[in-house]
Amino acid sequence: MSSYKEFLAEKQKIDELYKSGYEITKVEENLSGAFLTFERSNLNGKSKVTQVKLQILTADARKYFSNLIMAKQKNLV
Amino acid sequence: MADLRVNFAGIQSPNPFWLASAPPTNSGYQVQRAFEAGWGGAVWKTLGEPILNVSSRFAGTHFNGQRVAGFNNIELITDRPLEENLKEIYETKKRFPNHAVIASLMVEPKQEKWHEIVKKVQAVGVDGFELNFGCPHGMAERGMGAASGQVPELVEKQTYWAKEAAEVPVIVKLTPNITDITATAYAAVQGGADAISMINTINSLAGVDIDSWKTIPNVAGKGAHGGYCGPAVKPIALNMVAECARHPELNVPISGIGGISNWQDTVEFMLMGAGCVQVCTAAMHHGFSIVEDMIDGLNNYLDGKGIAALDGLIGKSVHTYSDWGNLDLNYKVVARINNDVCINCNKCHIACEDTSHQCIDMLTAESGAAYLKVREEDCVGCNLCSIVCPVDGAIDMVEIPNGEPMTWNERQAAIKLPICHS
Repeated sequence: MSSYKEFLAEKQKIDELYKSGYEITKVEENLSGAFLTFERSNLNGKSKVTQVKLQILTADARKYFSNLIMAKQKNLV
Repeated sequence: MADLRVNFAGIQSPNPFWLASAPPTNSGYQVQRAFEAGWGGAVWKTLGEPILNVSSRFAGTHFNGQRVAGFNNIELITDRPLEENLKEIYETKKRFPNHAVIASLMVEPKQEKWHEIVKKVQAVGVDGFELNFGCPHGMAERGMGAASGQVPELVEKQTYWAKEAAEVPVIVKLTPNITDITATAYAAVQGGADAISMINTINSLAGVDIDSWKTIPNVAGKGAHGGYCGPAVKPIALNMVAECARHPELNVPISGIGGISNWQDTVEFMLMGAGCVQVCTAAMHHGFSIVEDMIDGLNNYLDGKGIAALDGLIGKSVHTYSDWGNLDLNYKVVARINNDVCINCNKCHIACEDTSHQCIDMLTAESGAAYLKVREEDCVGCNLCSIVCPVDGAIDMVEIPNGEPMTWNERQAAIKLPICHS
């Protein structure tokens, strides 16, 4: 698979989680790539938070989620 | 015509082209010939206790038919008595009062030695001094040159001693044989340097003769490391000049040295902060007359840019030079092959397939003609294909819009922050 296709596959996973209301709450990076923690508050934030973990391997996808985080932080300022 | 006059740390010169301290500035005869040819200044071959040289001193590095891509020497400082040099400096300055004559000096790291030579040389009317803390061979084995130039404390102390006796500007010439040249540059400034110059030559062994198994050059069968200069060292020198120019605590003029061979190289060094340039290898390769093209070329360039004087050029690119962490990770270029110019040599395909990112496809058109095409989505914009391409205009690197800028430093700060639900 071309590196672009690998990136698209990872991007799609990230985008789907965002569409489902998840946001990245933690980034851990090590020799194996980036490990993202996504969280979503259920029932307008009144019940327990749901958590999903995702490993990101490609460099372009690591740039991609970083851009999402930065955009989010800019909007929060 | 632009005004090419230079006031470098108080040293006046009719143009920014100086001969570096080296064999071309060994004598009054040579320096006066250089001034007649058009050079604006000369840094006299290093004065000190006259040395003894060996025979067989230089070696050229030729690369793919290009002669003197690099140049190696094991010659030491002047081998003539100080009085002889001073007489010729006096005569040269008398004949060329408007040209810059700078005396390069090297003595043992002792206060009285620096005072003695500075006072003696100053008396004949030099426009400035350049302290040689850079020569890597021979003299360094005796504790001078690069040996003292690699120790910031010695650079500071010796600069201070020279400044105690000097009434004209003192330039400190730095060795590149050090990890971080800004450390010794800072020491020179702390010692009171009026300016710094860089780079001196780089430790080198030009080669080994594969038939005789002797070093190049060899002296009766033996070799010793020399100093490397010429076009091959230009990128190293340019980086060191730029690093000093952008350093917030190094606010002294910089004289750029290292592989400068033409007016274009001069422009590059000046854009990166050099207030003047010094040349050696190009003059040794082609003679003093190369300065005519350098002057004309620089003049035409400045006129073309609408720049009236060198102040409009010096340091103008320094702000573009930064740390890697400040570069935009989102900036994207991709290669695009112009098939009407491409000669189908396939060098780009081979380079990309074997050593880069495997994104140049060899295809066949319906007509049966072979052609090359970049899969732009897989191209990382490394530039390798355009570097190895032998045909100008066959490959363009094209900017692709790719969102807001994001540097590594910004990214690292962003992903460390706690991210809250909105």
